[in-house]
Amino acid sequence: MEINLYLLLALLITLLVIGYLLAKLHRVRGQLSLIKDALMDIKNGNLNRRVLARESDLTNQICYDINEIAMSSQSRLIRQKQSEQAYKRLMTSLSHDVKTPLASLVGYLEAVESKMVTGAEQEEYIRVATEKAHHLKDFVTALFEWVKLDAGEQIFHFELCDLNELSRNIMADWVPLLENHNLSYEIEIPETEYMTRVDTTAYTRILNNLLQNILTHSDARQVSLTITETEQQAKIIMADNGKGISAADLPHIFERMYQCDHSRSAKGNGLGLSIAKELVSVHKGSITATSDPGAGTTFTIIFPKAL
Amino acid sequence: MSDYLIETKQLTKIYGEQAAVKNIDLHVKRGRIYGLLGRNGAGKTTTMKMLLGLTQPTSGEVKIWRKTLRGNEKKLLPRIGSLIESPGFYPNLTATENLRIFATLRGVPNRHAIKDALDLVGLPYKDKKLFSQYSLGMKQRLAIALAVMHDPELLILDEPINGLDPIGIAEVRSFIRELCDARGKTILISSHILSEISLLADDVGIIDHGTLLEEESLAELEQKSSKHIHFTVSNTSQAARVLERDFQENHFSVLDDHNIQLYNLTLPIGKIVTAFVANGLEVSEAHSCEESLEDYFKRVTGGEGIA
Repeated sequence: MEINLYLLLALLITLLVIGYLLAKLHRVRGQLSLIKDALMDIKNGNLNRRVLARESDLTNQICYDINEIAMSSQSRLIRQKQSEQAYKRLMTSLSHDVKTPLASLVGYLEAVESKMVTGAEQEEYIRVATEKAHHLKDFVTALFEWVKLDAGEQIFHFELCDLNELSRNIMADWVPLLENHNLSYEIEIPETEYMTRVDTTAYTRILNNLLQNILTHSDARQVSLTITETEQQAKIIMADNGKGISAADLPHIFERMYQCDHSRSAKGNGLGLSIAKELVSVHKGSITATSDPGAGTTFTIIFPKAL
Repeated sequence: MSDYLIETKQLTKIYGEQAAVKNIDLHVKRGRIYGLLGRNGAGKTTTMKMLLGLTQPTSGEVKIWRKTLRGNEKKLLPRIGSLIESPGFYPNLTATENLRIFATLRGVPNRHAIKDALDLVGLPYKDKKLFSQYSLGMKQRLAIALAVMHDPELLILDEPINGLDPIGIAEVRSFIRELCDARGKTILISSHILSEISLLADDVGIIDHGTLLEEESLAELEQKSSKHIHFTVSNTSQAARVLERDFQENHFSVLDDHNIQLYNLTLPIGKIVTAFVANGLEVSEAHSCEESLEDYFKRVTGGEGIA
């Protein structure tokens, strides 16, 4: 009797174990069929497909690994697609930004050639046409510079130099231009030496582009450049008291071809700030903008000190 | 791969006598954001519920990934993330504990899924705060975290910005955009706010009184509703010159040799045409387009408009 009871108990336990194993087996089979479906889908190019697994699943590590592989291929593919799209956008903008000024340039020259205008007016037409041609030339130059930067083909020459001295020299070249535009200026650069490793051409370009941007777009009456430095970094602040940038436009100003004036009038080319940002990031620095519409805009560049 | 990730055919839902949704043919493209726009009670939520199998359609069919939803729910639904009304969270548990319950039930794509989801919506991981102590905005964020936790290929979000403050709205908007652009997700969102849809969606479906009135890409809609004066002339170069010289106008763009668009609507079309003709140009077409996106929606929905 006693033995029978033990046997019955043993049988019960065995059945339970078998039941448990069968349940596990069933779950694993279900998972395997899910994995099979997902792998087929991923093989067919759907890199967004994920296999979900619970913490208790025997197959969870396999599922997580599949997901990781799909995810990393997906992000690579998307990066590639994004650069293709950027290129397409560039081509559309290019055809637009060159077409309109070129058409009007041709219009002036045709008028001169066909003798529609004479004398002083003819002179004036030629002057306008030349101005437009120069503007186009600047645009194309800036565009090529951008493309070279974007493609990573630009070669930089980093050298140790005094950032304060360099900034003073750049501003000295700007003073006559600012005065011509009736802009008052305030320049605060420390008298001390601040040696850091920069590409001088690129650095000059950054300041030039920011100033040019103020000149072309801000309608400001005053600009200021303030440089402060610590052991770790140099902070360059360029501020104006112009019309400012609206909150809707502000997040996009560093994007290539973005212009706050959406009708794309003849002013500017939408490349200056974008180039400046690229050049700052080449120096492992950062550039940000804050603006108070109606009261002005402040650009802040931070360069880590490099020796 | 088919172009449409979600396709419905003649989808209809009748509650008693009332038809909530009538013969809707919805087409959601892979890798894009589709905005379902309609006033309260237009049938947006009912449509989304049918897409998720939460309510059975009276007639018609839902196809997701080219498979009929009915009968394939177990395979299809785990690949979708959704936010419809408010999900049932336990008030006496924290956000992390709530998500852990769902993770155990549904499975997750990797070991750090809960943390990732909370990071994405800006909620703290392993915080001690109970769900019942959360503000409306935080509850909404948690609901979004739940929708994205299993890294689904398709997201169906019903009014995702409900209850969020302006900063929260901007954050949610930018991460929805990010999910689509940087991770290739397909997203269907609904809203009764026109500006919200126009800021976010790639494709727009306008739903009113249970009927889908219009389905179009936002780019096409914007093209249709851009404000400009269009001229078709014999020589756009000359037209450009005339505009600049005679009207001091440079807000225009030359589309090709014969088509030019002007963005300043205050200019007198008649005078411009006269000036064109006086300069030896043939003008074959001149018209102004000045319907705003809002005007367009008013017209489509029969004059009542959308807030």
